[in-house]
Amino acid sequence: MQANFKIIVASLLLFTSLTHADTRIKGTGGVSSISGGGGGGLIPWATLGGLATQDQRSITGFITRANVDDFTLDVSGVALNLHNRVEFSLARQDFTIKANDAEISQDKYGLKIKVAGDLIFGPFPQVSIGVEKSALRDPATARALGARDDDGVDFYLSTAKAWIDGPLHRTSMLNFNIRSTKANQYGLLGYGGDNQDREFMLEAAAAMFLSRSVAIGIEYRQKPDNLSALIEEDASDVFLAWFPNKHLSLTAAYVRLGDIAGAQNQNGFYFSIQGGL
Amino acid sequence: MNTLVLFRSCRLFATMIGLATLIGCATTKPGETLYQRLGSAEGIANITELFVLEIANDDRVIAYFEDSNVQRFREKFNEHLCMITDGPCNYSGDTMVDIHVGMNVTEGAFTAIVEDLIEAMNKADVAIGTQNQVLDRLARLRPEIIYL
Ligand code: HEM
Repeated sequence: MQANFKIIVASLLLFTSLTHADTRIKGTGGVSSISGGGGGGLIPWATLGGLATQDQRSITGFITRANVDDFTLDVSGVALNLHNRVEFSLARQDFTIKANDAEISQDKYGLKIKVAGDLIFGPFPQVSIGVEKSALRDPATARALGARDDDGVDFYLSTAKAWIDGPLHRTSMLNFNIRSTKANQYGLLGYGGDNQDREFMLEAAAAMFLSRSVAIGIEYRQKPDNLSALIEEDASDVFLAWFPNKHLSLTAAYVRLGDIAGAQNQNGFYFSIQGGL
Repeated sequence: MNTLVLFRSCRLFATMIGLATLIGCATTKPGETLYQRLGSAEGIANITELFVLEIANDDRVIAYFEDSNVQRFREKFNEHLCMITDGPCNYSGDTMVDIHVGMNVTEGAFTAIVEDLIEAMNKADVAIGTQNQVLDRLARLRPEIIYL
């Protein structure tokens, strides 16, 4: 699988290497979410990653680390944007339990399609639909906790609108998602449990560009609570993203992930670096 | 739902926006037109001049202007910018559609032009909030310009 990843990344790079693909406005591709697709950090947004216009293709790659009280989460991945219409993404998540250095890894595959509207231009918000497939590489923990499945699929509907001349005359954005999911802690603890039903979860984000290069924002992710042995809570973050140019972004966030696998109030910092072509 | 978590994050976000307000909003006077905020006739002429220079140095769009009369563009764009920012001008040029039809202006070329104008306004020391008001008005014209 490691080798597969490298082959896929290399071919994606080849695929886009001859294109000049950065003529959407800086920042409108957002950053890379923990599942690999374009968005904020904790949730995907209706925006597609990278700055490809309808005449272009672009690719983004990222590395992310979240470090909360009792756990770390390392994520790396890539996303391909075809004509600002279709986004394919791939990510590997490595979750480490600090107490015993145990690790849970999973792969994420994403597809997002822009179905209507535009983030900035015109009266209609950008609407996208997405699919995220997760597959655990280390299912032992999930099974021990009573999860039903090692892999699962989430579906979401996402809508985002930015106002160039927003509040305080700053360019600002709102994003809302509805997600259908059975995931336990993003899939790291498997799918389903005593509660086996798909549930609809709400996700939201708001962001504001203080300057052309610096944005601040907030995100919220509602989560199901399927495993009777544990409590799962909603997550949120407050972030600061810096776009020094059209090919690089650095994001720092304070994340509150709530109760994870019996450890309460998991708060901490999140850093992400994204490069794009 | 863990509403406390959400509440805390919202509070932090609100504080950040509050700080941004303190830093960013001390400059606009009520009752002033956007035209005045850009420096009236002199300011607009300066922005137009800087904008023309940005376009001249922009490989992404220069081809579109190959056969254009720069003097006419300068004059008409200046009038148009004046009009669209509520200044005392009558725009005497052609409609947006008539000008740009047949050029096949792409989405990317539009962004490039927007970026050139941002750079011109940066060089003219126009505050970002004022810039955004200008850009918002110009963005509305996009359907009358691209892919015609
Ligand atoms: C909101 C954005 C834009 C505005 C407000 C705007 C406005 C104008 C104005 C006022 C003129 C002069 C009209 C006249 O001569 O009667 C003009 C001409 C022209 N514009 Fe635009 N324009 C915009 C975007 C673009 C873009 C994106 C391109 C292509 C990259 C473009 C290419 C041209 C060219 C080549 C001319 C000269 C036409 C000629 O020589 O006959 N414009 N534009």
